[in-house]
Amino acid sequence: MAVVAQEVAAIRRRPQRTTSWWLYAIGKTIVGVVFIVASLFPLLWLVIAGFKSKTEVISTPFQFFPEVWKWENYAQILGDPTFLLTMGWTFLGAVLFTALALTVNSLAAYAFARLDFRFKRTLWTVVITTMFIPGMTILLTSFIVVTDLGMLDSLAVLVIPGAATAAMIFFIRQFYLSIPSSLEEAAMLDGCGRLRIFFFLFLPLSKPPFVVMGITAFLAYWNSYVWPILTITSPERFVVQQFLATFRTGRGSSELGLLMAGSVLAAAPEIILFLIFQRQIIGNIKMAGLK
Amino acid sequence: MTVTHPTMTETEALIVPDARAARHRHRRYLYRDGKIAYWLLLPAVVLLAIFVIWPAIYAAYLSFHDWSFYKAPEFVGWRNYANVLTDPLFWAAIGRGFVFVAMTVPPMLLLAFGFSSLVVAVSRHFASTLKVSIYLPTIISTVITSIIFVVIYDYSGGLLNAFLGLFGIDPVAWLGDPKWALLAIAIPAIWLGMGLTSLIMVAAMIDIPTEYYEAAAMEGANWWQKTFFITIPQMKNIILYLLVTGFVAAIQQLDLPLVMTQGGPLDSTTLPNLFIFNHFTNDVNVGYSIAAALLLFVVLGTVSALIFRFVNSERLVD
Repeated sequence: MAVVAQEVAAIRRRPQRTTSWWLYAIGKTIVGVVFIVASLFPLLWLVIAGFKSKTEVISTPFQFFPEVWKWENYAQILGDPTFLLTMGWTFLGAVLFTALALTVNSLAAYAFARLDFRFKRTLWTVVITTMFIPGMTILLTSFIVVTDLGMLDSLAVLVIPGAATAAMIFFIRQFYLSIPSSLEEAAMLDGCGRLRIFFFLFLPLSKPPFVVMGITAFLAYWNSYVWPILTITSPERFVVQQFLATFRTGRGSSELGLLMAGSVLAAAPEIILFLIFQRQIIGNIKMAGLK
Repeated sequence: MTVTHPTMTETEALIVPDARAARHRHRRYLYRDGKIAYWLLLPAVVLLAIFVIWPAIYAAYLSFHDWSFYKAPEFVGWRNYANVLTDPLFWAAIGRGFVFVAMTVPPMLLLAFGFSSLVVAVSRHFASTLKVSIYLPTIISTVITSIIFVVIYDYSGGLLNAFLGLFGIDPVAWLGDPKWALLAIAIPAIWLGMGLTSLIMVAAMIDIPTEYYEAAAMEGANWWQKTFFITIPQMKNIILYLLVTGFVAAIQQLDLPLVMTQGGPLDSTTLPNLFIFNHFTNDVNVGYSIAAALLLFVVLGTVSALIFRFVNSERLVD
């Protein structure tokens, strides 16, 4: 009896492979491939152009692939000491920024999620309100503030001002709210103080929000352009986006292949980071998207 | 050690029926973590205060003053705001912002809807490949994106004109022609924005109970009917949310026109943020730029606050 039922279920589950089923399946695959190609094509184009000679990137008659694949472009851009220095400083800055942002914001998130204190609601409202102040409104006054603090043209001006963000506090707090309080109570019965609970209970559990927020912070730093062009003036302290933009307006027209190779290298850390953590990032998109 | 507090407070309150003392103790219990909490909050709150809250207050203050880096602020009341509101260039930039929104948001939502319908219909393996490849552009910087698209759009040697040439279409100066420049910036904007929009939509679409579709299939509904009578009504909220966040993001686009065209040709890509940014960097009268930024963003800030309330209330229901 049960066997028959199983077989019936199996037959039901198996799709009917009629002509229309095949057409539908092929159609879906084609549309899917079109999406993938459209989405990745500009990146593919960047990589191909990175192998072209000076004149080939933009040339008449048009050529899709380079005549000779010029690996020298990479050697040459990596041989540029400013480029390496820029990449190094940007990487260091991005790591520092990510670490600072995670520390500062997760501490605040823990306090807002778990602790009882006076003015909690008021403070929470104030913090959340900062989320709705668009960057453009405070761009100039922030510039005045960092000028007054003597932070211009330093790593500090890139790392410190943006570290605390309401969106990140909100996101991590949301995660901490979902941790059962019985865990915490058990720890308290064992005599753990609040700090110990945070460091030995909450931090080890924080990997999912930390991965998502950490990558968001890293990418935000790595991709930032407007704030650096306002606050960083010495070419040897440029961030990588600034370097690329200046390279384009300066030498770009004559060295396009080099610029493209540099752009590939500048995008590489982000792409590698994304491919390593894509599962967590995409899994969390619904939550992260709502920030 | 704090755990013993509640019981102590309760018994004491029972023994000594002094309401005031009891309330005091209750308070102490209620705010028992005060000290440590303030220490934990200190770094974040201080940073927010110095780099967000104070600049915001200062911006509001400066918007009522005539001020430049070289002289003391002079109070001028609403004059800056009046100047902004009577400036045809400001209104032109706002109008352009709306055109840009119309060029980016509806196509992006339609594409994302098609994409998520596809993702829920294909095998799990293919679906995850699709999701990874649609999200990859999102992480690329606007500067690199600008570089890629400037090269693709090049008049005489670019890929796009070469491709169109195959169909006998004459080359177009995509970024040099005021007719086309804004559209040419809308394409990379869509490319960069597709990832997040699509994946939020996919998440929403997966949440729709499959029973609805099974019931509809029993009644003989086709794909279009299922889409119009089940999918879209079920996703009404998330579509509305994406529409509004898309609007807010598109009208604030700054990096793409800044790097690709610097607002040209003939101001055809000077979006509101770039208009304000150019004023910041060129105009000595800072009050004007700040008033313009505040005017624009009081509105946008309100819009985002409303979305947040909406989203937050939904999440609480979850």
